[in-house]
Amino acid sequence: MRIIELYRTTGFRLALSFLALFGLTSVVLYTFIDIEVKDFLTEKVDDWVLREGRSLTKLNVQTIAARLDNRKNGEFDAERPMTLFNAAHERLAGSPIPFPMGYDGATTPFEFGADSGMPGVPFRGLTWTLPGGEILLVAESISEVKEFNEVLFGAMLLAGGCTALFGLAGAVLIGTGAVRHFDAVTQATRKIVAGDLSGRLPSQGVGGDTGRLIAVVNEMLDEIERLMREVKGVCDNIAHDLRTPLTRLLAGLDRARRRATNVEDYANSVDEAIVETQGILKTFAALLRISEVEDGARRAGFVPVDLAAIVADAIELYEPLAEEKEINLTSSIQESDPRPLPGDPSLLFEAVANLIDNALKFSPKGGNVEVHLERKGDLTRLRVTDDGPGIPEADRANVLRRFYRAEPSRHAPGNGLGLSLVAAIARLHGIKLDIAGGTGTTVTLEHNAASASSLG
Amino acid sequence: MTTILVIEDDVQTAREIEAALVDHGYEARMASTGREGLVKAVGESYDAIILDRMLPGDLDGLGILTTLRTAGVSTPVLILSALSAVDERVRGLKAGGDDYLTKPFDFLELTARLDALMRRNVGPAAETTLRVGDLEIDLLTHSVCRRGQTIELLPREYRLLEYLMRHAGQVVTRTMLFEEVWHYRYDEPTNVIDVHIGKLRRKIDLGSQASMIQTVRGSGYILDANH
Repeated sequence: MRIIELYRTTGFRLALSFLALFGLTSVVLYTFIDIEVKDFLTEKVDDWVLREGRSLTKLNVQTIAARLDNRKNGEFDAERPMTLFNAAHERLAGSPIPFPMGYDGATTPFEFGADSGMPGVPFRGLTWTLPGGEILLVAESISEVKEFNEVLFGAMLLAGGCTALFGLAGAVLIGTGAVRHFDAVTQATRKIVAGDLSGRLPSQGVGGDTGRLIAVVNEMLDEIERLMREVKGVCDNIAHDLRTPLTRLLAGLDRARRRATNVEDYANSVDEAIVETQGILKTFAALLRISEVEDGARRAGFVPVDLAAIVADAIELYEPLAEEKEINLTSSIQESDPRPLPGDPSLLFEAVANLIDNALKFSPKGGNVEVHLERKGDLTRLRVTDDGPGIPEADRANVLRRFYRAEPSRHAPGNGLGLSLVAAIARLHGIKLDIAGGTGTTVTLEHNAASASSLG
Repeated sequence: MTTILVIEDDVQTAREIEAALVDHGYEARMASTGREGLVKAVGESYDAIILDRMLPGDLDGLGILTTLRTAGVSTPVLILSALSAVDERVRGLKAGGDDYLTKPFDFLELTARLDALMRRNVGPAAETTLRVGDLEIDLLTHSVCRRGQTIELLPREYRLLEYLMRHAGQVVTRTMLFEEVWHYRYDEPTNVIDVHIGKLRRKIDLGSQASMIQTVRGSGYILDANH
């Protein structure tokens, strides 16, 4: 893998920037702690030095000297050295430390002795000049403060180093994973672009935003694949279904040329050819209508529609046909629609008419076709039931496909586009189409006003 | 003689339309561009205009139509279009078109609609009865009688008969019936209308051999007294 690519990944860059941010925060924190601790300790030292010095200076020189020499039997006190010098800076009593030159008249505590080589350095202290010219030095070792600083600095350095190391390793890991994943996505996409529509983007082990994005893209690919398959199916079916009438047309014309002897023969052949051609045109018109409906642009022309009136009209249209076929066409329509459904009345009529047409087509003589329209709250449900041969379970999804005709109906008149058109109209209106069987077929159209209102 | 102006840019289609019109007994004047069509439509008087919705150049079908109507020309216009979408149709009719036909179309449909358009142009007469041969309907009471015999019709059957009688002697197609009698626009109506016509036929023919309603070339009907 190339470093450049690693550096380009969002994950790696993000990890790096967090690392830098963390480093900066650590430095600031360290400095803050360092300053605070130093201040605190120094204050404590100053406090003691001032207190001790003030109380000592209230005594006379002899008492001070005696007290200093008596401290720990005159041994050098590395922790809190106290010494009495004469005006010439020579030690008179107390801890054996040299006079901090240059700090004669200091009024605030100062640090000294760092380069004297004595144990406990450096010290922090203050001098007082006594009435007799002697100088009193009171100091305290601040080596601990220095040590503390060093330890703290070391710890910070170690922690920072570890953090940087782990952070960098993590960034590389994340970046590598991302690069590898995006390589996989790129490859998968190239394959899909090259024509393998069954390919999907790899989604294993990818969570979060990227995972969600990939899931959505994969859903889109599913839909595209379905559509492509449908288009291919439609093309195959068009080719197949048009070959039959075209062959008949050609055969009829051919026969006319060979056999027709008079004008009447020719006229008959022409009439036959016209009928065949009209049939073909009708099939095309139906196909065009389905794609037009599926386009969704018709939604722009939606108006409030009274479904009950449409269903009643459709039933009225088919009553004579039912009578002729001796089929019992019954209906129960629940009137009064407080909220009319938004839709295209002609299309909805066509859908309902198609369903009734189908039901009548497949019902036997003396059979029953029942149309039932009911409303429950937001739900509007239309049911068309026949007692024909029914549609086998395996075929139910297929009958919605263009040109598909289930086996028992293969020889019935029609072009196999009716239910596809109904399905397209239903989709346009946000209506759920369901085909069920028992004995015969029940087709249900269900419109939910609550969920359909979100339709674009 | 009835003269129709055809504004159509496709040569083949124009020729077929011309032939169909001439065969139907009309005289056809052709225009192949929007500009030529507009000049002719304004300059001369025609009984009807067939107008292609999509024309090349700066003046398309709707443009011509709007200009014509603005100029006060009220000749009935039938729009031809390859666009079948409902809103296209509505736009065509709003721009002043009288009817709309989607390509490809049957020439029977074209001439039948043209006839209906020109009949409409005559204007509604103030008559209260319609009579074709010995068949008579009362437009006010909706009663139908033939040879002095009252015929009972269902409301839809009456409307079907009324439309056929208003266009007596003219071919009326299934699509037109569907639009006018059922008020749904249905591009490819099933032959279920044949069943309605069949029932109507049985009722008004009173058992006579020749029916007053003839089927024309599979997709149209004509009501005539001569049968």
